[in-house]
Amino acid sequence: MRRKKIAAVSVTLAGIMAAAGVMSGCSLSGGDNGKIRIEMIQYKQEAVGVFEELEKKFNETHDDIELVIDSPNDATTIMKTRFIREDYPDIIGIGGDMNYSNFLDAGLLMDISDYEGLDSIKQAYLDMDKELELVPQEGVYAVPYAANAAGVLYNKDIFDEYGWEIPTTWDEFLALCEDIQAEGLQPFFFGFRDTWTCLAPWNAIAVDLVDSDICSQVNRGEANFTDNYREVAEKTRALLDYAQDDPFAYSYNDACTAFARGEAVMYPIGSYAVPQIQSVNPDINIDSFVMPASEDASVNKLNSGNDLQFSVLAESEHKEAAYEVLDFLLEDENVQFYLDDQNAVPCKEGDFELAPMLDGMKTYIEDGYLADYQDHHYPSEMAVDAMIQTYLLDDSENATDTFLERFDTEWVRYNRDTIRNLEEYMEEHPDAE
Amino acid sequence: MNTKGNKQTARTNWPITILLIIGCLTIFFPLYMTIIIAFKQPSEMTNDIAGALAFPSSWSFSNFAQAMEVTDFWNSLANSVLITVIAIVLAVIIHSLAGYAIGRSMAHSKVYSFIYLYIVSGMFVPFAILMMPVVKLTAQMGLANRVGVILLYTVFYMPMNLLLYSGYLKNIPLALEEAARVDGATTWKTYWSIIFPVMKPMHATVAVLTALGTWNDVMTPLVILSGTDVNTLPLAQLNFQTQFGTNYNLAFASYLLALIPILIFYLVCQKQILNGVVNGAVK
Amino acid sequence: MKKKMGNREKTFLCITIPILILFFMFNTLPLIRGVIYSFTNYKGYGTYDFVGFRNYVDLFQDSRVGKSYLFTFKFAIVSTIVTNVVSLILALGLNSKIKGKSALRGIYFIPNVLGGLVVGYIFSFIFTYILPTVGQKLGIGFLSSSMLSSESSAWLAIVFVACWQSVAMNTIIYISGLQTVPEDVYEAGSIDGATGWSKFKNLTFPLIIPFFSINMVLCMKNFLMVFDQIMALTKGGPAQSTESISYLIYNNGMSGGQFGFQSANAVIFFIVIVVISVAQMKFTGSKEEQL
Repeated sequence: MRRKKIAAVSVTLAGIMAAAGVMSGCSLSGGDNGKIRIEMIQYKQEAVGVFEELEKKFNETHDDIELVIDSPNDATTIMKTRFIREDYPDIIGIGGDMNYSNFLDAGLLMDISDYEGLDSIKQAYLDMDKELELVPQEGVYAVPYAANAAGVLYNKDIFDEYGWEIPTTWDEFLALCEDIQAEGLQPFFFGFRDTWTCLAPWNAIAVDLVDSDICSQVNRGEANFTDNYREVAEKTRALLDYAQDDPFAYSYNDACTAFARGEAVMYPIGSYAVPQIQSVNPDINIDSFVMPASEDASVNKLNSGNDLQFSVLAESEHKEAAYEVLDFLLEDENVQFYLDDQNAVPCKEGDFELAPMLDGMKTYIEDGYLADYQDHHYPSEMAVDAMIQTYLLDDSENATDTFLERFDTEWVRYNRDTIRNLEEYMEEHPDAE
Repeated sequence: MNTKGNKQTARTNWPITILLIIGCLTIFFPLYMTIIIAFKQPSEMTNDIAGALAFPSSWSFSNFAQAMEVTDFWNSLANSVLITVIAIVLAVIIHSLAGYAIGRSMAHSKVYSFIYLYIVSGMFVPFAILMMPVVKLTAQMGLANRVGVILLYTVFYMPMNLLLYSGYLKNIPLALEEAARVDGATTWKTYWSIIFPVMKPMHATVAVLTALGTWNDVMTPLVILSGTDVNTLPLAQLNFQTQFGTNYNLAFASYLLALIPILIFYLVCQKQILNGVVNGAVK
Repeated sequence: MKKKMGNREKTFLCITIPILILFFMFNTLPLIRGVIYSFTNYKGYGTYDFVGFRNYVDLFQDSRVGKSYLFTFKFAIVSTIVTNVVSLILALGLNSKIKGKSALRGIYFIPNVLGGLVVGYIFSFIFTYILPTVGQKLGIGFLSSSMLSSESSAWLAIVFVACWQSVAMNTIIYISGLQTVPEDVYEAGSIDGATGWSKFKNLTFPLIIPFFSINMVLCMKNFLMVFDQIMALTKGGPAQSTESISYLIYNNGMSGGQFGFQSANAVIFFIVIVVISVAQMKFTGSKEEQL
């Protein structure tokens, strides 16, 4: 009798734990309806509406595959958390940036060189992904889908009203800012409280002044940032003279709102900001121009990079179905649908209609006179955005020296494993570039 | 430092009463701002002080309806309630048993003294060090869900609650159980019929402390539940922050919605909560 | 006697073992795994190598980590002092002969039941939009721009919000402490002519020292682990000046690909917490026994 009671104690406690296990087990196995389920996470929070539409359209036209597209807030953190949990989706939609480099380096992505849709992608964008490989890889691991362009957005109505010209050199640009201020208007309204926005002017200026593979050069020990980034740093800082008071108090949303309401005439940011701006003021007449950071107008390039690209996860068990989803997304009609909503630049060859606010950049896009974002090569844990914010907040005389010195020392530390792997690779492949 | 009022003969100390009432403004001002901003429309947001402090032009609940939709309010609320209630029940059952078994055995057993120290010293383990391994562990066990969060709370609050229960038991004489034992009751039965009811004040304390800790916790659900579509109330605020954009009115309606359940609970159970907190801290 | 306790001991054992397993699984095991990860260059996913003590060596050279420790300690110490001074004053007030005593006590406890994250968001708005307007109108220099946007004031804003919330808890504890002070102590005191400050210092305070030490320990531990307020108010900015240790570990460990490195940081943080807690308990231990 007593024995039983004792046993009951243990059974009760063990039962609670077992119940926990069973309950969790149940929630894992979802309802099966004979369809292959393809799960996709994409990181463009702004494009959540587009992907809801595309998801619906796909599921209506496909009987054998069920597509689920998730567009969570702070998606890259969620992707990483899920990778930490070893809970992999089938397809991820991310930017062509350091996250891609890391996922690829960790062996998470599938080689999709046998995917036929790749033939229709512009080579320039495929090359950008190649440059992102920390250690050169065989194969293709992403389908570039949409690119964005970053430069300076401007309020066309105000420009027309005062008859201002589009600047093509740095001096003209600063002179324009002076003119705008002289009219009692605000040239820029920055949202530097969100540190990542500090990278927008930085990138746009850097593509004009620095080699696009500067990070690889540094990794190979052939260059340093102190020499190459000084001008970029100084010119980024120069923009602060034309910004509102205390730009570090306001967020990206605040800055978009201010620009939308005509409180600032220009906004050095990417085309991705346009939907946010238009959500505040749908009637605003926006155009853009390429950041003229150099005195030599002919070296000024458009800052453009893979804003959204799709990768299939190596763990995915449904490669064929995943390709079918990619085929669907790459249909001209669906690409155009995305471009219209997001004011993006297509990575696919073809006759697509571009958004009017890209007019000022059109020739650069068509001539392929563009360069990838520098920050796509920065490791996220190095937090270069916050370093730039720190630098812009630093009023001391040697701020630029401090910043550049820190950039060089931290770079080596954060990229130590990459540099070592690269050295090993170079030793194994002495003839590689 | 005015302690004159402690004399039994003293009358009401009006200056201090008035100062304290004025001091309440520091509590009410942020809450007042939350309420009026939650009811205003974006067009009513002005930059002058009088305008910012003024009542909204109409008391419309449209912001709340929209905020509920954006943050999936009812689901988040249900999850928060579910997690908190089960965590409390498990804490009261499991931790009190632990307090009893370990607390009663400590005096004559080195092993139990060691177990006691082992668990209680878990109090010093900051969540930051457990965070990353726990994410991996729960995922591998299929516990990256509400059950996982509840289990983690049961473990994280164990050190503190064990300390509280075993401390409380020191004041409950062994003779109470001896009598029952002589009557032939088993230890298990004695526990539930005599000891468990006697510890009622401590159950209240444990329940209050566990509830306040789990209800408002952000970090555990953040790392365990993010990306699973399951939100608790605070997690929903964090996850939907960017969807509010610069519509602060919508955001504040959502904040207010997140604060209201616990405020109501506090108003109803104020006395028990205050007593519970004091008991927990002082014991 | 001992033999007769057979059933009792078995019951205890049956209760203790599952609990011990549960605790080991979700507390000790993760702790051990955390220590193991701290010797790797793991990103959290993919493959990894053991790198020996490299993470620990880096940790002591990393200016960002150093800065976060400095910030966290500065924040925790200042907040602990402010919270205790304010709540002691409040407790003395609330414990004196006043009208509406229980209502006032109830009101002053409200901030403690509210979630740190949401409170942070509310104050973030007040700091960004309301205070600067007030500051400009009244011509108060440091208020005329957002407190959250400057390195010199952002941490003070966080201190303010953290104290606003935690004063509630400490006040309640001090009140219960003051209620243990017997009336005759004061009567004896007033015969000696003790009044005001000297009465507090010589009579009241020594009697509530145990409560003071409880509050110090509670405050320090909570403030060292500050996370919610940072997440809501500054996200570590401006210029990385308000990154608390917990925030840095979460941010860089979970989303920044520094799983291994931040594990090492967490191990050091754990050691620091243990050392501080043990020191505090040693310091106040003898006094707490009076309770």
